[in-house]
Amino acid sequence: MSLVSGPGRAGGNALPEELQLAIEPHVKYIQSLDTRKDELEYWLTEHLRLNGLYWGLNALHLLNRPDALHRKETIDFVLSCQADNGGFGAAPGHDAHLLYTASAVQILAMVDGFGELEKRGKAGGAMAVGKYIAALQNRKTGTFAGDEWGEEDTRFICCAFVGLSLLKLLQFVDVEKAVDYIISCANFDGGYGVAPGAESHSGQIFACCAALTIARRLDTVEKDKLGMWLSERQVEGGGLNGRPEKLEDVCYSWWVSSSLSMIGRLHWIDGGKLSRFILNCQDTEHGGLADRPGDMVDVFHTNFGLAGLALLEFDGLEEVDAAYCMPKKVIERVLGPGYYNDS
Amino acid sequence: MASHGVPRVAETAPRTEAQRLEEERQIREYRDLEDLIATKIAERQYTIEVLELTSKLLKKNPEYYTIWNVRRRLLIYGLFSKPSGLSSHSTASPNTSTTDTTKASSGISSSSTTTSSEASTTSPQNPASPNHGKNGTTLDLIKAELEFLFPIMMKYPKCYWLWNYRIWLLQEANERLEPEIARQLWNRELILVGKMLVKDSRNFHGWGYRRKVVSEVESQKLGGHSIVESEFEYTTKMIHGDKGLSNFSAWHRRSKLIPRLLDERKASDEARRQFLDDEFELIISAMYTDSYPYQQSAWFYYQFLMTTLTDYVGHGTIIPHFTLEDRAEYVSRQLVILRDMLDGAEDCKWIYNALIEYTMALCRMEERVPESDEKQECETWLAELRKLDPDRSGRWDDLERALRNP
Ligand SMILES: [Zn+2]
Repeated sequence: MSLVSGPGRAGGNALPEELQLAIEPHVKYIQSLDTRKDELEYWLTEHLRLNGLYWGLNALHLLNRPDALHRKETIDFVLSCQADNGGFGAAPGHDAHLLYTASAVQILAMVDGFGELEKRGKAGGAMAVGKYIAALQNRKTGTFAGDEWGEEDTRFICCAFVGLSLLKLLQFVDVEKAVDYIISCANFDGGYGVAPGAESHSGQIFACCAALTIARRLDTVEKDKLGMWLSERQVEGGGLNGRPEKLEDVCYSWWVSSSLSMIGRLHWIDGGKLSRFILNCQDTEHGGLADRPGDMVDVFHTNFGLAGLALLEFDGLEEVDAAYCMPKKVIERVLGPGYYNDS
Repeated sequence: MASHGVPRVAETAPRTEAQRLEEERQIREYRDLEDLIATKIAERQYTIEVLELTSKLLKKNPEYYTIWNVRRRLLIYGLFSKPSGLSSHSTASPNTSTTDTTKASSGISSSSTTTSSEASTTSPQNPASPNHGKNGTTLDLIKAELEFLFPIMMKYPKCYWLWNYRIWLLQEANERLEPEIARQLWNRELILVGKMLVKDSRNFHGWGYRRKVVSEVESQKLGGHSIVESEFEYTTKMIHGDKGLSNFSAWHRRSKLIPRLLDERKASDEARRQFLDDEFELIISAMYTDSYPYQQSAWFYYQFLMTTLTDYVGHGTIIPHFTLEDRAEYVSRQLVILRDMLDGAEDCKWIYNALIEYTMALCRMEERVPESDEKQECETWLAELRKLDPDRSGRWDDLERALRNP
């Protein structure tokens, strides 16, 4: 049960006038990813396996095909990635890291698998996972390390909050201190970087906005400044870049537009143009999306491209939650039907 | 699995039988190597030989983070703690990683070879010296590791795990070596990261690494001192370099260094005022050059300078003692400059945007509603924005609402 990149080409010039979402090819593409064990690339990307499963499964959920991957195999694989310390690695035998632990929790949430975690996970079930995550918080500064080796990055605050909140264990950590740390990463342009002093970057902005959304502290964001900076990520062709003067890329259609959505400024960019850019990145024949039209597709860009379209309420896709990058349906099932009313 | 900018030129033709067999062989070789490392680690063989095996695997796949962790454990539980006289380093066969990588290194520091061979040759004469064990073997290993990493980093400059591992090594040096020696290692990193940033002047891993390296070079525990002046100089050099004016990373770094630079210079109010004038001069003359009124990096730096006037925060700014009148006067002066700039750049949306933003900011600073002529002008500028930049019409709608209800 594992997904990797595979061959396929995003369309460039051969696209029909009316851009269609190639739902069936995308489903087939994602399903095919686990059948490539005779390709070296499959083994060289093992360090991304659990992320890959989250990307593929989320894409399938957004495509309204949540059952396209086998549920029991999915849960078996996730649990096989759990390390003795309660965290999850990228694949069986790989070291635990917050990046994969968040993906594991997201996958289990999507397949309603928390019960299996209690039954078959490492002793303690959800509590063990929560303790693993909580131990990575720097109690002095509030930020999180990715693993025992200590690299700190605002992305890991996001991973920790996503994992803990879905497990309803956010009380395990000092949320206020983490929020203060995020505030200390804010720049004059309203954006956030990896750490205090670091340049604003759309990926980090997404991570900080998502963490602040989960902590219900978006009041700390300078929304007009950030919204201005984010809206200037849209380039002539409709796509979005990650920083000033960089190339557009489908994954940024997610990091940027979800951040705009979280701060209530998604209407500050041209959604129609962005949709067309994303659709142009499809391989309509073999399925999957690429970073840019004409490039090689992969499951990472497939997920974030579809999530971008879902955020723009593209016809035929499930509604997506901007902070969790998961179907709203799943978030409501896990966090309660009132979740979107109280926020 | 997350590829960027990889074109797929043609349909993949089915593999020939020979190609299939070759790929099968490569997979077997790769997985055998993984298994071998796992077996050796399970047997707690923390040796140079196993370190070599991980080198081989990591050259094939530098993203394999677990193997970088294996390497860390090999060092801290085995190799670092070897007593100096019996160091696995000097007993290892000639083709150990050290020899290999020293030869292969593209010479970021020609002195390293000399230093490490000196250390090796002196070590047998001085087997009992505990200090030597601390600085000798461990230093050799750390240097060899840094050399091993360099070509891989040049090839994969965006791989997070490589930068992390490098930082970790140097932090180990802080713990295990004399502060003076550790600081020399960090100093060399400054040269290395300079090279990385010449190759890609926007690599945010590179800029982040530079930030960390500088803070270590400056740290008191290593006996360092502030290098804020030379770092500031570095941003000036980057900005004046090729495509430098659109290098937002350099402008950003500059914005972060300025408050500390002025504090350390113990700059007088007059010096600070002059500094602000010079920065405005720098950015505005940049905007008049070539196509730069249309480049956003310059405008974001302009925003930074204006923020020091409009969003007054007291300490940590360029001009902490400016009165409200001083600040209002500066903003008004900028509004005049911006109007002038429109001449010949009537199609530059950034100018209209700035004119509206800072006209409104001036009203807020002076705690008044816009005069009717100011309001009218803002509306004219807004109409230009709508025309020039229809993609962001939602933003202009909100701006219009804000203009109506200031
Ligand atoms: Zn991308």
